[in-house]
Amino acid sequence: MSNITGQETGVDRFRLAMAASGVGMAIVDLNGHWVEVNPAFERMFGYSAAEVLGRPTVAFTHPDDISLTQSYLRGLIDGSIPTLDAQKRYLHRSGETLWAHINIAVMRDDFGAPLYLLVQLRDISAQRAAELALESRAEAEHAARDVSNRQLQLFADSVSHDLRAPLRSIESFSALLADRAHDRLDATDRDYLSRIRAAAARMSSLLSALNDLSYVTRAELKASTVDLSLLADWVGAELQDAEPERRAEIRVQPDLQVEGDERLLKLLLVQLMGNAWKFSRDRQPIRIDVSGHREGDTLQVQIRDQGIGFDMRYAHKLFEPFQRLHGPDQGGGHGLGLAIARRIAERHRGCVRAESQPEAGAIFTLELPVTATEDAI
Amino acid sequence: MHKEILLVEDNPDDVELTRLAFDEAKIANRLVVVGDGAEALDYLFARGKYSDRDPEDLPSIMLLDLNLPKVDGREVLQAVRANEATRTLPVVVLTTSAEPFDVEASYALGVNSYIQKPVDFEQFVWAVKQVGLYWLVLNHPRTV
Repeated sequence: MSNITGQETGVDRFRLAMAASGVGMAIVDLNGHWVEVNPAFERMFGYSAAEVLGRPTVAFTHPDDISLTQSYLRGLIDGSIPTLDAQKRYLHRSGETLWAHINIAVMRDDFGAPLYLLVQLRDISAQRAAELALESRAEAEHAARDVSNRQLQLFADSVSHDLRAPLRSIESFSALLADRAHDRLDATDRDYLSRIRAAAARMSSLLSALNDLSYVTRAELKASTVDLSLLADWVGAELQDAEPERRAEIRVQPDLQVEGDERLLKLLLVQLMGNAWKFSRDRQPIRIDVSGHREGDTLQVQIRDQGIGFDMRYAHKLFEPFQRLHGPDQGGGHGLGLAIARRIAERHRGCVRAESQPEAGAIFTLELPVTATEDAI
Repeated sequence: MHKEILLVEDNPDDVELTRLAFDEAKIANRLVVVGDGAEALDYLFARGKYSDRDPEDLPSIMLLDLNLPKVDGREVLQAVRANEATRTLPVVVLTTSAEPFDVEASYALGVNSYIQKPVDFEQFVWAVKQVGLYWLVLNHPRTV
């Protein structure tokens, strides 16, 4: 420090600072030529000071940023830009793009006339590359999601149409055959035909369920205030209508209100209450209770039956597609109903839980946020 | 004199089943079958191989499948609703799909009714019977 004295202080101290700085620093004249650059600058650009000095800055600027650089220069000189803090692209000696965060101030004389531009540069190429990688990954993921949604849509359409149409032929023509050839067929023949028809009917219900599962996954949620109690009454009436000979007591607590998509929530209740109905097959009467209460920001709805229940050891399988805990003779279906129910609950940022003991009925608890926000899928 | 029923259907099994269902339902109107959307429009507008038809003699109802070769059901519906002569022709979509998106699109294009063909034959006959009863007996069509 002792060699820095008097007169030298202003200029030399500045030079020393420039030389020692880890940040790229440069002085540019009013014509936009490099006048001085520091060692950090040399390292950043891969050029020595001698190769740079006196040459225009635009010669080291990425072609796409040249006009931007020129307008910065004009603005700084005429004072419309007091100081500049920006990101721009330069060119490294290797030809690679060099992203820099630049800060430019104007050095002025005592009368305020501009003399030089003082430029500080920080290499942000690595950071930009990481950002770009992240962006392109997000775009790729988004595109992949679009593609998979479109494929899902196509799949659903073909499930709806192309798979059902032949099924109708199988069902209908075996029905017609059974009818027309009735007298010529013996009991075994007729049994075979009825097995064909029953299988077609099972497959048809499986296709409907697959379709529902894909629909609830990709349908756009239309949120409104939904009266779950009304929906549950409605579903109960449908269940009773489908099997009018069964005696049932379905009790629904009134005024269970939640925000959500009415169509999907109805489908959800169809699954849960339909499940309760199915597994109460041998009960006389069938009892289903739907009740609920607020808990914080959620509505907890319980659907309780007195049916055959299930073993809690298998509870984790309950909501997986195609998992069945009961065979067809016990009321087991296609194994998609509870998967559909869970998907709908999840799309409403809610969930479904089940508790049971064999022969002691089951309680399905549906937890839904009172205010709707769609789960990002 | 019963007016015709126009069935736009490319699946020969479904044509046969619809024919049988109309028989069972004792619906006497002649069933005209066309296999794709382009032919359906030719028939309605008396063009192409139907150019000797009287274009004013419209069917009492068109039963329209959605997934059809060449011109699909939605395009047929659009063309029918855009033309003054056929604007009010009763159109019933009779299709395999019950996709909410298909249902939505059909109503947006002005279909009168949307029916999913049941897989079960008895239900299919029942559905066709209802369609016949409603559109050919109960409904009072617009008289031009």
